[in-house]
Amino acid sequence: MSIKNKSMDSANKGKTVESIWKKAFVANTEWPDKEEFLDVIYWMRQAIGIVLGLFWGLLPMKGFLGLLLFVIVNAAVIYFYVNNFQNIDEEEYGGMWEITKEGFMTSFAGFLVTWIIVYTGLYNESL
Amino acid sequence: MWSDSLLIVFISICTAFLGEGLTWILVYRTEKYQKLKVEVERQSKKLEKRKEAHGDSLDKQHKKKIEREEERLKNNNRDLSLVKMKSMFAIGFAFTALLSMFNSIFDGRVVAKLPFYPISWIQGLSHRNLPGDDYTDCSFIFLYILCTMSIRQNIQKLLGFAPSRAASKQGGALFAAPPAQFK
Repeated sequence: MSIKNKSMDSANKGKTVESIWKKAFVANTEWPDKEEFLDVIYWMRQAIGIVLGLFWGLLPMKGFLGLLLFVIVNAAVIYFYVNNFQNIDEEEYGGMWEITKEGFMTSFAGFLVTWIIVYTGLYNESL
Repeated sequence: MWSDSLLIVFISICTAFLGEGLTWILVYRTEKYQKLKVEVERQSKKLEKRKEAHGDSLDKQHKKKIEREEERLKNNNRDLSLVKMKSMFAIGFAFTALLSMFNSIFDGRVVAKLPFYPISWIQGLSHRNLPGDDYTDCSFIFLYILCTMSIRQNIQKLLGFAPSRAASKQGGALFAAPPAQFK
């Protein structure tokens, strides 16, 4: 691939990322490319994981309740985003379960890391 | 307070980039890999569409076509993993050495405090090589694994090295039992 083509490719990529961002925050958007929508769900999940980790660490939330609440809040936000904000037909994506699974483990790991680090830093002077 | 845990996050970011960089040099940039990847993705998408369109029909011709395509995809997937395998071994060895080095640096050191009480089969990992019975103490290896889980996959996705969903879905289906309609 020539250099010119490569630079055109990256310019196009930049443009699509921008348009996906815009689409993600507009209600009832049409998503002709399923991958794009799943990407939005994926990155949204990662953001939710880190934000919740920060909150839980600052509060500080402790114990099994923290884990349970994370799972519930994470699933609920995505559920409302898909069903009430974007009004997506979940069957097109293989059911709600497929959407709920998208990027869950990565987001869970991100959440745990942020939660543990913030909690350790703020509430454990011994370390 | 923060130093150990932040250092571990930094270490896992570095190792993730190092791993991806090495894989790029050894695998991703090779022509063979790129060709196979494009081929597998194209075939996976085609197969998925075909299954969607004719999934419920009992037409023998369609069934045969789908089976043939599945077979071709399977072969390509196998070739793809073979291309990856060699470098994965090399990287695996390098990382095991790195990990054991970090392990000995952080040996017996509590790097963080867990805000929850880990269940018994996680305790072996979260309390590895740590003194005492306080299971909310967190070992290096547990935090490192968590960091790697989140950071490595996100970096792969950002750099565009993660396998596409269609390919991994079809790839996963190949190892699972065949769906009822194809039996």
